[in-house]
Amino acid sequence: MADSNGKQTPLLDELEKGPWPSFVKEIKSMAKESPMCQDLLGQLEKSYGEKRGYWKHGGIVGVMGYGGGVIGRYSFLNEEFPHVAHFHTIRINQPSGWFYTSDAIRTLCDIWEKHGSGLTNMHGSTGDIVFLGTQTSELEPIFKELTEKDFDLGGSGSDLRTPSCCVGQSRCEWACYDTMQLCDHLTHHFQDELHRPAFPYKFKIKCAGCPNDCVASVARADMSIIGTWRDNIQIDQAAVKAYADGGMNIERDICGNCPTKCMQWDGKTLTIDNSNCVKCMHCINNMTKALRPGKDRGATILLGAKAPIVDGALLSSVLVPFIKLEPPYEELKDLIERIWEFWGEHGKNRERTGELIQRVGLGNFLEAIGVEPIPEMVAHPRENPFIFYEEYLEEGDEEE
Amino acid sequence: MARTAQEVADAMFELVKEYQGKKKFKAGDLTKAMIEKFGQADCDKQLCKTAIRTLMDSGRCVYTYFGGSFIELPPKEGAEGG
Amino acid sequence: MATATDRRTDIGPPNYSRFLPPVIKKNYGQWKYHEILKPGVMVHVAESGDKLFTVRAASPRLVSIKKLRQFADLADKYCGGHLRFTSRNNVEFLLTDPSKIDALIADLKAIGHPVGGLGNSISNIVHTQGWVHCHSAATDASGVVKCVMDDLQEYFTQMKLPGKLRIALACCLNMCGAVHCSDIAILGVHRRPPKVQHDGLNKVCEIPNVVAACPTAAIRPAMVDGKQSVEVLEERCMFCANCFSVCPAMQMADPLNDGVSIWVGGKVSNARHEPMFSKLAVPYLPNTPPRWPEVVQAVRTIVEVWAKGARKYERMGEFIERIGWPRFFKLTGFEFTKQHIDDFRHAGLTYKRSAQLRQS
Repeated sequence: MADSNGKQTPLLDELEKGPWPSFVKEIKSMAKESPMCQDLLGQLEKSYGEKRGYWKHGGIVGVMGYGGGVIGRYSFLNEEFPHVAHFHTIRINQPSGWFYTSDAIRTLCDIWEKHGSGLTNMHGSTGDIVFLGTQTSELEPIFKELTEKDFDLGGSGSDLRTPSCCVGQSRCEWACYDTMQLCDHLTHHFQDELHRPAFPYKFKIKCAGCPNDCVASVARADMSIIGTWRDNIQIDQAAVKAYADGGMNIERDICGNCPTKCMQWDGKTLTIDNSNCVKCMHCINNMTKALRPGKDRGATILLGAKAPIVDGALLSSVLVPFIKLEPPYEELKDLIERIWEFWGEHGKNRERTGELIQRVGLGNFLEAIGVEPIPEMVAHPRENPFIFYEEYLEEGDEEE
Repeated sequence: MARTAQEVADAMFELVKEYQGKKKFKAGDLTKAMIEKFGQADCDKQLCKTAIRTLMDSGRCVYTYFGGSFIELPPKEGAEGG
Repeated sequence: MATATDRRTDIGPPNYSRFLPPVIKKNYGQWKYHEILKPGVMVHVAESGDKLFTVRAASPRLVSIKKLRQFADLADKYCGGHLRFTSRNNVEFLLTDPSKIDALIADLKAIGHPVGGLGNSISNIVHTQGWVHCHSAATDASGVVKCVMDDLQEYFTQMKLPGKLRIALACCLNMCGAVHCSDIAILGVHRRPPKVQHDGLNKVCEIPNVVAACPTAAIRPAMVDGKQSVEVLEERCMFCANCFSVCPAMQMADPLNDGVSIWVGGKVSNARHEPMFSKLAVPYLPNTPPRWPEVVQAVRTIVEVWAKGARKYERMGEFIERIGWPRFFKLTGFEFTKQHIDDFRHAGLTYKRSAQLRQS
């Protein structure tokens, strides 16, 4: 199919076929009124033919006063495709939980129709609303119109990236703290850190309401805040019985999958040794009507996850096994600031918090931020005998 | 004598200007340099934070990004796009 | 000239409470349980007895404002104007009247958006920008995802898998997305050291930064044709492209050698097994746009081996851990090569350090 310019895109046309929603159809739907989308199709068709991308490193543009929120993007093929010579991305801080009204969606669309390609990502990997493709001259007008409608930009570069959270207590019975409120609170509290990059590198915060971790915080966030509880799983024995009567093999599929084997089913009653429950969620996930997290709820805080660049991928590891999370969240904010203080002082360019901890050692890191080491922080104690001590006794010293 | 945010912002600007094209500064680099220049007693991190905001809001410097965020003089657009 | 201080800044996102449907406002924090009613449809029941029905539909993530307006119209027609998006880029419609569910599903299908992704199914593929918008992509993102999901659509619209299956794609090792902990991860890779553009490197990049960017110390300062630049010890380069991230003069894109790797067995949830990284299944497949048949076939092979052999609830990584990696390679037919053996930091921890082997 030719676009309105008469240019052919035979390779991309192949991606209009098939049952899954097609991003090519999305771009083409805008091509009539948007020369930018026409040229995007042209450049992308060329990428498909040549098997390579044609976007340059960007990085100079932004709105005044902010260092985050706009990703500069320029085309190598600016003569062939002049309408995507500039093709900058704008990140807009999403509302917690990605809830919208139809009016809010239309407001965003109207702004973007006027000032850009009309293409979006709902949402970007970190959680922002992403406006895909505009020119430098449009940035300030877009920012003005967004802020008039109470939207603001998200993070990019060496700053606090836009925090995100799961749906939490708004719809989920498993949420052990109010993820949407905490996420919104931290985002507003740390606006300066989000808009004005002052860190060694990026810092991500993700709030998950329970150990199912629907926002993948343990893999993706420098600080992973994962809901948990410390009292007993709530059991409705009649409902358990109903699952058994309905054909569920509780012995094999529920008790048998418990990682600590702390559950027993005798055909009538389900008993749980809660002191050995590690809050994995398997039994709760699969008997939603019968089992629920306990009532004494809070969160585990883990630190340090990141993708492979630079020094290898990391999962977050435990910093605080249990914390109550209630407004105004002073204890948490204080902890975050102590972490940033040490990282800001000692982190190298492009060194994430997790890498810094690897480099200086978790023990030293804990000392620096004033947190006591506890066994919950390790899978097991050290195996190697190369132990550091800062001091030693001299002859004549008195032992303490 | 305690410094004002404007004074610190001016000193940051001079530093960026002096090293433009030779060294890129991160916000943390400027903060450390100012504390060293004026002394911890007269210029702390909080003041530097305010000074950076003053500097950036004035438009004399801009944030740039090359695998990390830096504070530089406003460059000619697209020129460094490689 | 206007200064930044004249403007409205640092307001943050609008508070979510403005966008919540009345049934959520009323029952916030008071939900009792939920049930999946059929593929892509679930109900949450509150302590008060109120019910909230969710219909989840696929999205290509890259959506036009025209499509968003269509979604908004559907939200008005069926949901009092309320909708949301998920962490895996699906769109969800929130209803209180279950009699409207089937009509909504029909309307979604009519505009090309299948309903599903709940329970024991494949949810949407989390992915990155690829050739549509990224400067460092080693493969396209949206196109590969489209091809893989065209093939696996049945596992999105039905719940016939043993457990959940989470697929993710990143178009380079920067991994803008949690692909390294996915049941199946599709990852764009380079396989050729950077082509250093000595002309002007020193002007665009700070040489000490470029040198420091290399995790294997393969880059060192050098004078080339009288110009200050860097040289790359090619045998040390493992193509991470971190040097390119800090310096555009270290060109990585190379159509002859760029391609796709496939990783398996990662998870982020704590259910049963602790979170784990994905491990290498296929080190390299060529970029074959527009339909990437080799990648599509490899992913389907993995899905089918797991779907056939896994026990109820067992995720990919749990399944492979139970049957062992030798059997995984046997069942999939993937060749095990030198590239599968780790040689970066702490590689020795990944060697098999016991005689516990299946010998038949």
